Amino acid sequence: MTIEECIYKNSLKFPQKPALICGNQTVTYSVFWQMISSYASDLNKLSECRKMIYQIYRTAQNIDFAVRYFAAHLAKIINVPVDNDISKERFEEIENELSASASSMCGEHSVADIMFTTGTTGRPKGVMLTHENLSAAAENINAFVSNTADDTELIALPLGHSFGLGRLRCVLSKGGTAVLANGFANIKKLFETIENQHCTGFALVPAAWNYIQRISGDKIAKFAGQLKYIEIGSSYMSETSKRKLMSLLPQTRICMHYGLTEASRSTFLSFSNDEKYLNSIGRESQNTEIKIFEDGEIGVKGPHVFYGYLNGEKAEFRDGFFLTGDCGKKDSDGYIYLTGRKKEIINVGGKKVSPFEVESVLNSYPDIKESCCVGVYDEVYGEVVKAYLVVNKTVDYKELRKFLNGKIETYKFPASFETVTNLPKTESGKLQRLKLK
Amino acid sequence: METLQKIIDIVAETLGIEKSGISGESSVGDFPEWDSMGHLSILNKVEEVFEISFDPEEMMELEDVNDIVKAVKAKQ
Repeated sequence: MTIEECIYKNSLKFPQKPALICGNQTVTYSVFWQMISSYASDLNKLSECRKMIYQIYRTAQNIDFAVRYFAAHLAKIINVPVDNDISKERFEEIENELSASASSMCGEHSVADIMFTTGTTGRPKGVMLTHENLSAAAENINAFVSNTADDTELIALPLGHSFGLGRLRCVLSKGGTAVLANGFANIKKLFETIENQHCTGFALVPAAWNYIQRISGDKIAKFAGQLKYIEIGSSYMSETSKRKLMSLLPQTRICMHYGLTEASRSTFLSFSNDEKYLNSIGRESQNTEIKIFEDGEIGVKGPHVFYGYLNGEKAEFRDGFFLTGDCGKKDSDGYIYLTGRKKEIINVGGKKVSPFEVESVLNSYPDIKESCCVGVYDEVYGEVVKAYLVVNKTVDYKELRKFLNGKIETYKFPASFETVTNLPKTESGKLQRLKLK
Repeated sequence: METLQKIIDIVAETLGIEKSGISGESSVGDFPEWDSMGHLSILNKVEEVFEISFDPEEMMELEDVNDIVKAVKAKQ
């Protein structure tokens, strides 16, 4: 059953129940379905005359976005939701990728969404997800997290990313209520929303938890009796952080996943049930098979694994398993531990950054001869970008920051710089980033 | 007034935005740059410049420029 079919069923089952709440606006399942149907019929008319295959748009944390997103699925138009804070250049790059590859979108499977992620080369990579992928992932996640139609979930994660958008699909397919909020920056407002809307669950990335801790200390403990579940994912979380959260919310089912846009939530860990294995990423999700190959790389197989990349770039598969680029090991109880990364991607609080992309912008700055970016440890974000620079003359970092503004998103900005006389390279001139870590 | 100007300078410099667009009422989330990362950087910079420190109880109340000005003045 597609997510839209689930929403339709919920509109018959719980017509008067709030499906979405955003600020002062509330829509019931019945009204939400009417809005989706009416928008879908408009899109149908539009697609007939314009031969529209996909719609690309910046996401927003509001009800209009949710209507537009599900209506497109209903009208058989592929969604290409992109993050609201994406730079103009990146948006144009994505538009170009789409128009160049429109023909590869219509395969035998029906593509529902194309989510753009950061490839190692810095070029945006379109991950094609079918309706089956989305339903399979939602089913796996709901089964593990155990959220029900009685739950009200706060969604503060950006809907332009796979994790946040996935949560929206999970809540609405179950018949729960989703409360949309605009990020985690204003913790006071966020806590007021949890309290006033009686939220019973929410999802976050480890960086958001570190931020909540830094800004509000142990105050989240006041929701200990209210929060039934929390889903965490997208980047590394230390065992100390996990134990701290468990101690503040002892009755809450805290789940953490490992996944990629290409293979959403491939493993799950429950903090309380798997306490002995808190350093692991948990075990395979239901209907998912994980194999660790001889070279240590983690492979994933299952109905949630994506259909393919948009630009014809070949996804790496071995024996039917999608190769994640992450390395790990599995213990005798089936728990998986991450041991390293094959790809040179920097993970800033769950947002992926290609060092190539940042370097190419830095290298275009007149005072910089060449640069090399690596991920370095950060206590709030897990990892941030550090840039090593070979300069022509002393760099004014204030001016450099102004230069970067608008060219790359702020989370990609180097958090620190170091000037060096030369960069480590192989004989053929390839940068050796690992030597700088 | 002086504290307000200093805080506006810190916000502008930390977020890489023009001072002219920032007022006492400018608040976290008003600019795309003023996200959680930006907010934390601003508060860290304020602590450093004024040689003060905020505990989490206080930090949560700091939503806009005026809140930060008030908190800084109370510690001076």
